[in-house]
Amino acid sequence: MRLRLIKKFFFPRLSLTIVLLILTLIIAFLAGKEFLVQRQSEPIFPSSGLSYHKKLSDYFPALRNTWGDTDVYIFEGKEPGGCILITGGTHPNEPAGFLTAVILIENIFVDKGKVVIIPRANASAFTHSDPQEGSPQRFFISTAKGKRFFRLGSRLTNPIHQWPDPAIYINPSGQKLSGSEVRNLNRCYPGRPDGLLTEKIAFAIMEVIRQEKIDLGIDVHESAPEYPVINALVFHENSSELAALVAINMESFGLKLRLEASPPNLRGLSHREWGDAAGILAVLIETPNASHGRLKGKPSPDLIVEGIDKFYPRASRSGRLFVDYPETGIPLKDRVGRHLASIISLVESFNELYPSKKIKINNIPDPNEVALKGLGFFLHSPS
Amino acid sequence: MSEPLIFVLMLLSFILLTLLVRFPVGVSLFLAALIGSLASGSGLPWRHLVEGAFGYFDTLLIILTATIFMKTLEGSGALDTYVNFLLRTFYRYKPLFLLILMFIIMFPGMITGSSVTAILSAGPLVAPVLLKIGLSRSRAASFLAMGGILGMIAPPINILVMIMGAGVDMPYVGITVPLLILVGPLAILVSLWLGLKEAKKISKDDLASLLPPSFWPQYGWRLIVPLLSLIFLFLGPSLWPEIIPDLGLPGSFILASLFGWLAGRPFSFFQATQKALEESLPILSILVGVGMFTQIMTLTGSRGWLVVSILSLPSIWLILAMMLSLPLFGGISTFGSASILGVPFILALINLNALFTAAALSTFAAIGEIVPPAAFSARFAAQVMDEPSLFRVQKHSLIPVATFWIMGLILLLFAPILDKWI
Repeated sequence: MRLRLIKKFFFPRLSLTIVLLILTLIIAFLAGKEFLVQRQSEPIFPSSGLSYHKKLSDYFPALRNTWGDTDVYIFEGKEPGGCILITGGTHPNEPAGFLTAVILIENIFVDKGKVVIIPRANASAFTHSDPQEGSPQRFFISTAKGKRFFRLGSRLTNPIHQWPDPAIYINPSGQKLSGSEVRNLNRCYPGRPDGLLTEKIAFAIMEVIRQEKIDLGIDVHESAPEYPVINALVFHENSSELAALVAINMESFGLKLRLEASPPNLRGLSHREWGDAAGILAVLIETPNASHGRLKGKPSPDLIVEGIDKFYPRASRSGRLFVDYPETGIPLKDRVGRHLASIISLVESFNELYPSKKIKINNIPDPNEVALKGLGFFLHSPS
Repeated sequence: MSEPLIFVLMLLSFILLTLLVRFPVGVSLFLAALIGSLASGSGLPWRHLVEGAFGYFDTLLIILTATIFMKTLEGSGALDTYVNFLLRTFYRYKPLFLLILMFIIMFPGMITGSSVTAILSAGPLVAPVLLKIGLSRSRAASFLAMGGILGMIAPPINILVMIMGAGVDMPYVGITVPLLILVGPLAILVSLWLGLKEAKKISKDDLASLLPPSFWPQYGWRLIVPLLSLIFLFLGPSLWPEIIPDLGLPGSFILASLFGWLAGRPFSFFQATQKALEESLPILSILVGVGMFTQIMTLTGSRGWLVVSILSLPSIWLILAMMLSLPLFGGISTFGSASILGVPFILALINLNALFTAAALSTFAAIGEIVPPAAFSARFAAQVMDEPSLFRVQKHSLIPVATFWIMGLILLLFAPILDKWI
């Protein structure tokens, strides 16, 4: 009797549990294999003009052997001059920021002054994607001898590397933010040496600024087309003259630049804290990226590279965007081209304002040529 | 298949699987997501399903650990003692008593920004009191759900506003007054509407027969330690960030649970955790399903279609669209609704004061807490009250929800005047 009861109630339940457990393990294995792909870093091939290749942990050793450590590329001219910092990949779901840094690393030579480039400012955020965004893990760009892959990461540090989030995050500048912002590098400046991973990364970047004696910091981003700060340059109040000059210089490329002053009460961002805490000229530049907007259609590698989306043109026609979004899309080459134009204009304007700290950078790809020949023309072949 | 068709197919699959096949809500959401993915030609997207399932991982842990905390309060006798104290102190003044009960429910939500946390941590404390003053189970569950939602949108912490603020780079500063203008009248109206009709004044003798046992004589101050430790763990990291580390809400609940274990009469902590897991598993599975459903909506482009369709409405309809779409999307995820719809709505009303707009939109989105399929607050309140019918809880909540809409609308329409006044 007891055995029959056990058979009747226990075995079906046990069998179902075992089947569900095996099914869960199979799904975990299949998904896990895909998640691991995101940890494979894309190669970067620096130009022969590279002077040093350092790690962020060289500036702040506490980051050594952590997922926050990342590459720092330094191009130093023979003659002394000013020093520029360019950060890409602060938000790895904004691909034009990362690609602009990569294009510069693979092409430039510096004659005068120094250029420091951190292409993957938040390396941890490259290793995962944002839940509920359905993002592809990689996108591809054709070069002369084959395709190169690049990762599309997340806005935030990987929770596997920094967890749990507090309910409310009070950043190093005392601003209260929603808890997940504790993993947003561009809310954690000027960082904390004994803080959480993202705060340590922010602190390490501040150390780069201090130790390399940076004069001008350029943080390269993208924003969703429904966001008002777009095709824009956000500047610290100490850089207002520089920003005004840049807007004029951009017209030589046929590009209009929206200027936005960094709000003094919006704390923890690069354009605010680099200026306040380190006293350098600080700007942040933005281009429109449909792939991380809320109105996007089906996400795909093509959406990232070609920028053609089903719904953004409709939203644009309804007057809901802050940028004209055509049916033909806003391709990555145009967005990177715009960033390159901004950087060229920033260097020119800096030289005009500070002649004693002149910086001379050669071989920055011409934005019009980038639009014409495509990004692949300016990238090293995959091997 | 086009995006609207995929969306309709996912929605229909979910409804059919839940209502006709009688699958659990979480399983139905998972299967509907799978059907949507197959119909869109995305195949079997395991990575996306797992990624979506982890979208609410932190919330899952909060719900589970909050339930463990409540089980330790029950086990130690602390809960009975608290109820005993509240009943004896305030039973004489009915309206004031109702307002105090509402505030007790709201308080954990005000600190954490989570209605579920409010319902789970204050609910078991207030639930027996509500029943004992004469409220029916369904009305008491509605009282609890509304208290949780009001706590969620009340200052100092409104995560919905924080999420929307992060999307438009609006600092979380100066929001306290707009939120107080909104929540103060709502709390009074809702608690009196739900409570006055059924609540009865009870005599001292009646009260004596209703009172649960107090363990104060045996254990004294020890019984308050778990509650005090939880409040300390919630507030400490904000008040003294340099000294007190933030354990996160799950860590805080677990630590406070350990205090609860040692606070009063002996009980098995292991059994308390098992009971908590058993009770919260249905809601946890819904959250996992909601995460998958949302991820596949984005993957197939149907989320984009939905958002653009709402935003493309003529301006005159836009406010109506806000009032309806935010709660409806909130029925899948309130936080998701704030992020996906709330941010474009704030941008669409950029000429208004963003703080007032965000406060009003958070009220609309919070209504989603009682809207199916997830209806988290209503569901949890029903669970805490042991009320079998979710529908009855939602029915009692209709008038309070209407006041939410009206107050939100007033705030939106009068934003320019209030802006100058404040």
